[in-house]
This record gives sequence, C-alpha cells and structure tokens, in this order.
Amino acid sequence: MKDVIALLNCHNSPELGELTSSRPLASTSFLGRYAFADFALSNFCNSEIQNVGILVKDHQRSVLKHMGNMMSWVVNTKIGHETIFYNEKGQLNPAYNSDINNIKENDWVLYDSNASYIVFESAHIVLDIDLRPLIEEHKARGEAMTVVYKKIDDADAEFTHGHLYDIDDNGYVSAIHKNDGQKKTANVSLEIWIVNRTVLADMINRHQMVDAAFGMREMIGYLCKNKIIKVHAVEFKGYARCFDSLENYVKYSFELLDRNVAQQLFKPDWPIYTLTHDTPPALYGEKSAITNSFISNGCLIEGEVHDSIICRNVKIAKGAKITRSIILSNVSIGTLVTLSDVVIDKYSIVTARHTIAGDPANVIYLKQGAIL
Amino acid sequence: MSTKLAAMILAGGKGTRLQALTKKVAKPAVSYGGKYRIIDFPLSNCANSGITCVGVLTQYESSELNTYVGNGEKWGLNGVRSLTSVLTPKQTDEGSNWYLGTADAIYQNIDWLDRVEPEYVLILSGDHVYSCTYDAMLKKTIDENSDCTIAVYPVAWEEASRFGILVTDKNDNITDFQEKPKKPISNLASMGIYIFPYKVLRAELIADAKDPASEHDFGKNIIPKMMAEKKKMVAYTYHGYWKDVGTVASLHQANMDLLITGDSTTNLYTVQGDNRIYSEDTHSSPQYIGPKAKLTDSLINQGAVVLGEVDHCVVSGETLIEEGASCKNSVIMNGAIIRKGALVEDSIIGPDTLIDTDEKVNLEHDGIALVVNGKAAQ
Repeated sequence: MKDVIALLNCHNSPELGELTSSRPLASTSFLGRYAFADFALSNFCNSEIQNVGILVKDHQRSVLKHMGNMMSWVVNTKIGHETIFYNEKGQLNPAYNSDINNIKENDWVLYDSNASYIVFESAHIVLDIDLRPLIEEHKARGEAMTVVYKKIDDADAEFTHGHLYDIDDNGYVSAIHKNDGQKKTANVSLEIWIVNRTVLADMINRHQMVDAAFGMREMIGYLCKNKIIKVHAVEFKGYARCFDSLENYVKYSFELLDRNVAQQLFKPDWPIYTLTHDTPPALYGEKSAITNSFISNGCLIEGEVHDSIICRNVKIAKGAKITRSIILSNVSIGTLVTLSDVVIDKYSIVTARHTIAGDPANVIYLKQGAIL
Repeated sequence: MSTKLAAMILAGGKGTRLQALTKKVAKPAVSYGGKYRIIDFPLSNCANSGITCVGVLTQYESSELNTYVGNGEKWGLNGVRSLTSVLTPKQTDEGSNWYLGTADAIYQNIDWLDRVEPEYVLILSGDHVYSCTYDAMLKKTIDENSDCTIAVYPVAWEEASRFGILVTDKNDNITDFQEKPKKPISNLASMGIYIFPYKVLRAELIADAKDPASEHDFGKNIIPKMMAEKKKMVAYTYHGYWKDVGTVASLHQANMDLLITGDSTTNLYTVQGDNRIYSEDTHSSPQYIGPKAKLTDSLINQGAVVLGEVDHCVVSGETLIEEGASCKNSVIMNGAIIRKGALVEDSIIGPDTLIDTDEKVNLEHDGIALVVNGKAAQ
C-alpha cells in the first residue's frame, strides 16, 4: 500500500503501574517475547504498509532500542522504512505533548511522501487487524475519516480509559464520549483512525484555534460534534484487549495461557514479528515441573513453574516454585524461593529461600534491578 | 579488498549416513539443538573470531542451504568490510565441473580468493559441532611460520581408524599422517580444519589440479604431498567439545549432550555476547507448556507446544506434543506433531513428521530410530 503512512501512536497509552515508570507501554514486555508495539507494527507489516512512523511520547531510549532499524517489521528493507516522530517542545511542556502536536512538529513526513492516507493505531490496544480492506472501503466510499470500534457488553469493566462512539443509522459517528463506566453495552474506540492526508492537515491547522492542548482523540470528537467532518465507523469483531492497568496487564496476559484464546491472537496467517535476540532454546532440569506457562528462549529452569509467564534469559534454580507470576527478562530466582502472584521486572535477583506471596486480586510488583 | 584471514567452509557433502534426514537437504543444513542447523557452529565461530570474509562451498541439495546462508546476515557476516559468498560449482570458459573433492572445491574458487586477497586461508568443515574461536590457531600459524596448521583432537583409540591420524613431535611438528588407518599409530585425529598461508595453498592447489592421479582431497592428497615435500606442518590441539555428527546415533548423542545431564562443554547459556552461537530467529509464538504437561531434563525451542510428557528430549519450534503423548530420549525436529497416546523413545523424529495417535516408536530400544515422513506438513 504505497499511498498509506501508518503511525504507531504512543501518546494515549495508559500507565501499567510501576511497570511503565521508566519505559513506555509500547516497549513493555508482553508474553515473554513481545513488546506491545509488535502487534500494531505486525498489523502494518501484514497489511503491506511499508511507510511507518512511530509517535514517541517519552522514554524514547526504550522505544528506539526495541525498534532498532525496523528490519524486523518491514517486507522490503529498502522500500520499507520508519520515521521516529519526537516532539522536543512537548518534552519541555508536557501539557502540549500530544499526538497531534507531535505530527505538527514533524509534518515534513506527511509532505515528503505521496501518501494520501494516514492510519493510526495505538500501542496499548492489542488486536490482529487486516487494515487493507478497511482502507479500500474508506477509499471506495470517499470518506474523510474512518474509525474502528468494537461492540462490547462489559464496557463498565473494560476499555475504561477509552472513548465510546455513538453511531447513527448511516454508520457515522454522532458523538464521542469518555467511557465513564456507566454503560455495559457500548461501542468502544479501538483508536484505529484512517484519515485522508488533506483532512489531517486541516485538523492540524484548526487545532491551535480550537484548543492547543487537544490530542487527536479530542480533535476527532470536536470535529464530529460540530459536524465539520463525517466520521465513518467500522465494527471489528475479533479479539481485542485494552491494556490500561497493571491488574489488566496481568489478567489479559494470563487469559492468553488458554490456548483457545491464544489462537485468536496467534494465527498461522498473521505472524507477530518482534525483535529477536539469538538466545538458545529453554533448558529444563531433571527435577523441573512446568504447567500452563509461556516460557521464552534463553531460560534455564530447574525448579517449578505453574500458570506463569517467563521472559528471556530467566534462571530458576532447583527447588524454586513459581505460581501465577510474570517474570521479565534476565531475572535470577534462587533455590527454594517461593513466588506467587508476583510481577518481577528485569534484571532482578531473588536470592535463596525467599517467599513472596501476593494474591490474585493484589499482585506484588518488584521493580527493575531489585535484589532480595 | 584484502583481509588477514578468509574462511572457506566445505558444505557440499551429502552425509549419506544420516539417511532420510539428508534426502532433501545437505548435512550442514540439518537441524540440531532445537533451534540451530549444524552450519551455524562454524559460521558463528567465524563471526566470533572476527573473520569477515567467508566462502561457503555447497554442492549436494544446495538450494535450502544456499538460501539459509544467504548474505551471512544471520551471523552478522554482512556488515561493512564483510563478505559472505555461497560458492557453488559453475559453468566456466573451460566447461562445467562438479567439485571433485575438497581441494578441487577450493581450487575452483581461486578467483574468489584472489579478489579477497587473504594472507591466510582457514579451511573448515560445515558439518562439525563445536564452539571456539580460531584466534589461537592463527597465532600459532604465524608464530611458527608454518605452511599448514592442522587442528587435531585426541579421540578414543578404538575410533581412531575413522579419522585422518597425525603423529607429532614434542614441538607439535607433524611427523606422520595416516588417512583412516586400519592400525592407527596415534590417537590425534585431524578435525579437517586447516590454516594455510594463501600463497602456499594457492601453489599446492594449482599443482594438485594438474595431477591426473589425484583425488583432489585435502586429507588424501594435499596434506600427504606437503608432508612428502617436507613443508613445515604444525598441529594445533583443540580442547573442548567437538563432534562430527556423521550418523543418526552421533547426531542424537550430540543433541543429548546439550542437556543439563549431557556432557557438552558447548555451553549455549554463556554470558551474553561471549561467543554466542547465532542462528535464524524465527517469528514463532511463545513456547507453551500445557496444564497437564510433564517436562523434565529437556531443551525446548520457541514455537513448541508441549501438552504431553517430555523427558530427556531436544524439541524444535513449531512442534506439537499432544496431551497423553510421551517422548523420551528423543530429538523432535521442526514442525513435527506427536499425537495423543503416541509413545516415542530413543528416536530422531524428522522435520514435519507426524507420529499418529497411539503409534509406538522404538519402545524396543533398538539403537536410535529415525522417522521422517513429512506428513505433518500436508
């Protein structure tokens, strides 16, 4: 799709508790071998979009480390390329560090290519979506903007940091409001927006006059409310999760241990690409016992692991027992350690015979580099 | 361009004794250690030795191997000042020839070497499993001013007749050489790893090519001839894990050596960045171990789904071991499916092989069984 620029939007990601205190959600570890950004970037790649931009809000080091030269997510390494959008002014003035200001600061990207359409996807909403038919439909109907939503019956508990769409009989958005958790059945925004370049340019121009602190979400709401443009809405019926808190991070991660759920996200014809690390396969000891868990390469496991997710290069010594926990990469767990309902961040060490027990409703978080 | 040391990896052999495993791929491309192919080891060793120019000589069933080697990117051998070339037999002005032997394969690529302008040439075999750098061997070649340095490995006496055997004096000068002798007089086996000054090698190859009686083989012709000419021949003794995975049983054993209970000193889990073995990183989904799985003493790659019982096994990616299936002391290669109730022992289950419901494989423990049927891909 040569006439499309896809933008991975990191501006609207909620915090996952302390897990995102020193890294953006986009490059936060997920299911052992992924970062959240991989899902949107794989959607772009599998949808044959070669021109990709990343709207970085903060902690760019962590994002840049994961993205590298983008070779992992492009089909053709000459034609495919990425642009890091970074708003220097926004760093000094966080109130104005929005996606729309970021694009405005870097708007040469829009004018440097022949792309007529811009597609946005947010890092914190995980789903597999083929963008090609949506873009084709958008073009064929001659729309100014197309947005994607999912109709859910538990909007009081899910997507609570997101926006809801009211949709009229003709399939256009009539109103947008924040999800205040009052409704059960609602159309939640998946924060996928297909916008004509001219429309986006107009939004950027208007933006200063409307409210300089508005982001894309608020601007779309403003344009809808004032009937300045018509926003076409398309329903998505597949698996989608909005990662908006540490509790939900744990809950949705564990949900994917169910193979029936995992198969909705990991499909043979829709590979999820990620940065790879040349780590050896996972090695298990004679006394190891593993059930219902994701284990990443590079792990050396001699103890027990149940209902857990273990990232790259984790060492678990003999006699250790890990239950309902997420262990991020390069963590060492000593002998006879017992962990349950714990999230342990990278490079931490839990020395022999320690016990850390949270409970499913109140997961304990151990910060990066902790030594216990 | 010019370079200190260029490596030539001989990867053209069929590996007949690996039976069905090498029916469609060359031996260096055979799967090993859950994630690797055998040729990852010499190529990673080259990368870790700082070698930047590598020629990979292929011939038998070369398309998969050629594709795999590509431009050397998987081993980082595609950087600036780097060159990885797949060198296959070709048509030339003088006609077309297959590689007639190991020496002929290098001889036919003298043009490539001339362009690379190496001071020294390292000749490697593409089908050995070991992790090392060649720095010390090169240093010895330079220090001793040798015409040929041969890496040697002390093998068990009863195995010595399978190898080229060297006899050395106390200064490591090679005094005698026997190719696969019936009655070995030493247990120092040639590893098929040589370093020559390029000028010496070039002259020897050209002379050998003109000799109609020659089989154009390093072990059979070049080395004995250089010995006869009283060239300075030096042995470099290698210490560490080294395996020529020539047979189904030795491939199985080399896999089992990687387990915690195995005896490989090839530690795949060394501190990061320290002589790692590089390979193709697939975009597999995470490795999943099921609710009723029993998993002990094994090496499992990403993309594997283990729902049954696995003990003392090496399991590659994209495999499925169903609930109620059991695998023991076996190698399960990429894409294989073991259905429920199936029992697999002492086996190598080849790529994309299907072991059907309740099927029994080698429960009688008759050596190491090899099953290759490709049915899982259908």
